[in-house]
Amino acid sequence: MLDNALWISVALFTVSIMLNLYRVAVGPALPDRILALDTMYVNSIALIVLFGIWLNTKTYFEAALLIAMLGFISTVAVCKYLLRGDIIE
Amino acid sequence: MIGFYTVMEGVIAFFLIAGGVFAFIGSFGLARLKDFFMRLHGPSKTSTLGVGCVLIASMCYFSLIEGSLSLQGMLITIFLFITAPVSAHLLAKSALHYKLARDPRTLDDIEELKDGEDDEKPNGENGHLP
Amino acid sequence: MSLLLIVLLPLLGSLVPLMGSNERRNACATMTAVAPTIALGIALAYMGQVLDGDIPRAAVSWIPALGLELAMRLDGLSLLFVLLILGIGLLIILYTRFYLADGDDMPRFYAFLMLFMTSMLGIVMADNLLLLWVFWELTSLSSFLLIGYWYRQSEARKGARMALTVTGAGGLALLAGLLLIGQIVGSYDMQVVLDSRELIQQDPRYLPALLLVLLGAFTKSAQVPFQFWLPHAMAAPTPVSAFLHSATMVKAGVFLLARMHPALAGSEAWLYLVGLTGLVTLLYGAYFALLKHDLKGILAFSTVSHLGIITLLFGLDSRLAVVAGLFHIVNHACFKAALFMTAGIVDHECGTRDIRKLKGLWRFMPLTTTMAVLAGAAMAGVPLFNGFLSKEMMLAESLQTPLLGGLSWLIPALATVGSLLSVAYSLRLVRNVFFDGPARDLPRTPHEPPRLMLAPVMLLTVICVVVGLLPALTMTALLEAAASAALAGDSPELHLAIWHGVNPALLMSLTALLGGLLLYLQRRHVFAFQRQFRPRDARLLFEMGIQLGVRIAQRAIDSLENGSLQRYMLWLVIAVLCVAGSALTQTSGLQGPLENQPLDGLLIAGAIIAMFAGLATAIMHRRRLISLLMLSIVGLMTSLAFARFSAPDLALTQLAVEVVNMILLMLALFFLPQKTPQESGAPRILRDVLLAAGFGGIVASLNYAVLTRPLESISDFYLENSVPGGGGHNVVNVILVDFRGFDTLGEITVLCIAAIGIYKLLNRLRLFMPSSDADGRPWALDHHPAILGTVAQTILPLALLVSFFIFLRGHNAPGGGFIAGLITAAALLLLYIARGVDWTQQRAPIQFQPIAVAGVGVATLTGVGSFVFGQPFLTSAYGHFHIPLIGDIELATAILFDLGVYLTVVGSTLMMLANLGKMTTRHRPSKNKEQA
Repeated sequence: MLDNALWISVALFTVSIMLNLYRVAVGPALPDRILALDTMYVNSIALIVLFGIWLNTKTYFEAALLIAMLGFISTVAVCKYLLRGDIIE
Repeated sequence: MIGFYTVMEGVIAFFLIAGGVFAFIGSFGLARLKDFFMRLHGPSKTSTLGVGCVLIASMCYFSLIEGSLSLQGMLITIFLFITAPVSAHLLAKSALHYKLARDPRTLDDIEELKDGEDDEKPNGENGHLP
Repeated sequence: MSLLLIVLLPLLGSLVPLMGSNERRNACATMTAVAPTIALGIALAYMGQVLDGDIPRAAVSWIPALGLELAMRLDGLSLLFVLLILGIGLLIILYTRFYLADGDDMPRFYAFLMLFMTSMLGIVMADNLLLLWVFWELTSLSSFLLIGYWYRQSEARKGARMALTVTGAGGLALLAGLLLIGQIVGSYDMQVVLDSRELIQQDPRYLPALLLVLLGAFTKSAQVPFQFWLPHAMAAPTPVSAFLHSATMVKAGVFLLARMHPALAGSEAWLYLVGLTGLVTLLYGAYFALLKHDLKGILAFSTVSHLGIITLLFGLDSRLAVVAGLFHIVNHACFKAALFMTAGIVDHECGTRDIRKLKGLWRFMPLTTTMAVLAGAAMAGVPLFNGFLSKEMMLAESLQTPLLGGLSWLIPALATVGSLLSVAYSLRLVRNVFFDGPARDLPRTPHEPPRLMLAPVMLLTVICVVVGLLPALTMTALLEAAASAALAGDSPELHLAIWHGVNPALLMSLTALLGGLLLYLQRRHVFAFQRQFRPRDARLLFEMGIQLGVRIAQRAIDSLENGSLQRYMLWLVIAVLCVAGSALTQTSGLQGPLENQPLDGLLIAGAIIAMFAGLATAIMHRRRLISLLMLSIVGLMTSLAFARFSAPDLALTQLAVEVVNMILLMLALFFLPQKTPQESGAPRILRDVLLAAGFGGIVASLNYAVLTRPLESISDFYLENSVPGGGGHNVVNVILVDFRGFDTLGEITVLCIAAIGIYKLLNRLRLFMPSSDADGRPWALDHHPAILGTVAQTILPLALLVSFFIFLRGHNAPGGGFIAGLITAAALLLLYIARGVDWTQQRAPIQFQPIAVAGVGVATLTGVGSFVFGQPFLTSAYGHFHIPLIGDIELATAILFDLGVYLTVVGSTLMMLANLGKMTTRHRPSKNKEQA
């Protein structure tokens, strides 16, 4: 049961990432692309956690944590760039 | 106790699938909805919830495997739940700054969404150095 | 061991004068003379042993893998030269004391002189071909310093450069020749080489080796056509000319001929090359010596001519000729050094060296005049002087040579002409300067120089006379010893005497003397004849040649290295395509013995996303921000792939680098033009697409080929030894901080230096700051959104905790100093982004340079720490500790090293990024903060 659920979940997240990619590609505006990229980061976290359950290891925990943290930082940086141009002022 | 494991397996499976479905809905909304302000809803709420579900499933799973409470996933969850609104806030801010086109159905007399609103009154201060 | 001292003492001695001061000149000169005096004493102590036929040798291993060892020998040939170098060197030290003017830096001169003496001694005593070459090049370098001693004069600089170019280039040829000989023989040991004459001369590589060695010798000894540098080297102070250009350095070339004589000489090629070059040089030098007006110029060309005599003697196929050559080396050194010193005295006293202005000096300086007459007579080859003896031997030997077959009478005839010319220029030198009527219009009124300045000249002249009068008594033993070394066997029996009875050689000598006198009296015809030629300045030609070379090189560089990154990448990619592509066509099929890994939908989806994003990055490159977003998708997919294939460390690193990279690019983008024009035409795009596709295809093929083949790699060693050897379960981290810790130390040092370099480059950089974005939209007015600021502050401790955690457990689980450092840096950058530089600097006024430097320091100290325990650099220790509440942990000294890595990464990253960010604030890294 768990295996099937895992695979369904992985499939759904993969499809989600493809949908995000579609949005990154078509835009139309920059905020759309950034939003889609941010969502892609979030979905990747889930994928990595799912890898961890699948391989039965907690080694990937930090990778997920890092994506959460660094994805946020890069989203913030790009937004700041759109708003102010100069991200550190 | 076999019953407990079966129940737990069911719970984990439920959370996994629920997470996947939420994330899918969020991304589907991102792909399908008409304008940016609508699209913003999907990822910022639904997708975060989806990942949250998967993290709960992971916590349950590892707690079950190791026989003790595994809370590391909690850290990621907290992190996501703190940061997701902030990202969304900043994105909305930049969308407003870019004056992105809005779907006519969302055009309402909302004070904050009128053109020439916001705090962007040119008052001479531009914050840049020569 | 004391053999080595002969060379090492002058080397140490080159430091002695530097401790002296320019004011206390006597002390400086005396102190300098100590080391060579001791060395001379040691050499004399060995003398008896050497004259008995012994060859003392000493060796210290230097670079055994290259066959290079610090090996010295003192055979007769070496002894002869050692005595010359040290003896005349000491006289020069004394002479210099009085020669240098008050403004000249005496310690510097002495230091260079001693350095030169060392390298010269090294050449003559080297017992290893490579060692000989090392000292050979050292003489070129130190003579460069000496010739250019008056470096403010353009003449001196140009002369020095020319000498260095010519002798240095010859030195490179010599190296090639010596390497060839070493390959033929299979050893660089001097004795082995000298003993393998048959082997060398039968090898097909003999001719190139001979040519290269001769090129080295001829450039050094100023043989035609390389003679032109020597007259220009006369811009050097006169003691240098006396030492280098008469007694020692130019003799290095003929020394090499003598040294390699047992191994290389005797073949037809040797006889023709050496003999004819010597003959031409002899005539060329003698003719131009007659024409020059500068005292030192005359002496320089006469030196060229005498070097020609010696070379000719080594090129005659006769054992006695070699002895005559060695004899002439000594004689020439004595009288030429004396004449150079005299010229220096004349210059010093009269203020000019122009022979047309000098006249009748004998009234003012009778003693100097006497010395000049005696030394000049020796140079001319007048009987009863040493020059006569060796010159007569030369004439006698030239009669014996069968070199040119039916035309072999030419050689003695031309040799006589050369001697005749040398009589003429010697006469002109002595008579015009010291006699020829009363002196007029001299810049200064001359008088006798100080006694001690004249003493070296007197000593050398006395030697000339004594050797000339009692040749058998004084020189036989030394010459026989030297000759037996140069001839590899017993020396021919010597009968040095003034009178051999009436024979052809004596008649030739007399012809030369009388003819020379006649030529001197009729010299105006020679001058008139020479005036019909256009004067040709060798230096001008040389400089033109050099400039032509520079221009050609510059053009080649300009076409290859034109500052266009695209151009460089083009060459690089084409090169890789050719090399890797041709290698791939050699392999038997792409698929190796291993099975393909199973493929699933997830992988396909990931690959599609990565490929799409990669393509989009390139296509969108003109809309930079979008391109950047695409790039970060590629990065994300790469780290997901790392995670999928069980490389968590790589995934973490990739993520951390990705975000820091993105921030860096955005910081830079701000200062770049917001719109870029279309720059490439269709053909260029097509070319680039083809190249990129080819490159990608080749890399993919390589990957596939490598991954489907079983690989014996070092990974297994690391996997097995990481716990027993490094005390860590995370192999990647153990490799970084322990197994390959030295590499890591180098890398963090480079990182730190790069960061400091960027910091300095940003300093004072004036940048254009756009006031609106690409679409002309003015920037938002809200500098620091309040929500972001609050959340960033909340996250900071959390992020620091995470990075601390990842740092601590890095040795056993994914993580480590590098990743932790990047996380800390990213967290601090978030604060900078959210709150701005002002706010952050107020609350945490941290300088990042000290942090980065401290990081490198900690890592180095950790490495040095293992010396305390008697272990090699960077040995790590580890152990298990039980700490209450936390439990069992495993601590290794490597964690200290990792701390250094962490600090360096934090410091360097922030130094670069935060300072790039500070460009728009008053905190920018510049000295004039208040202006901004």
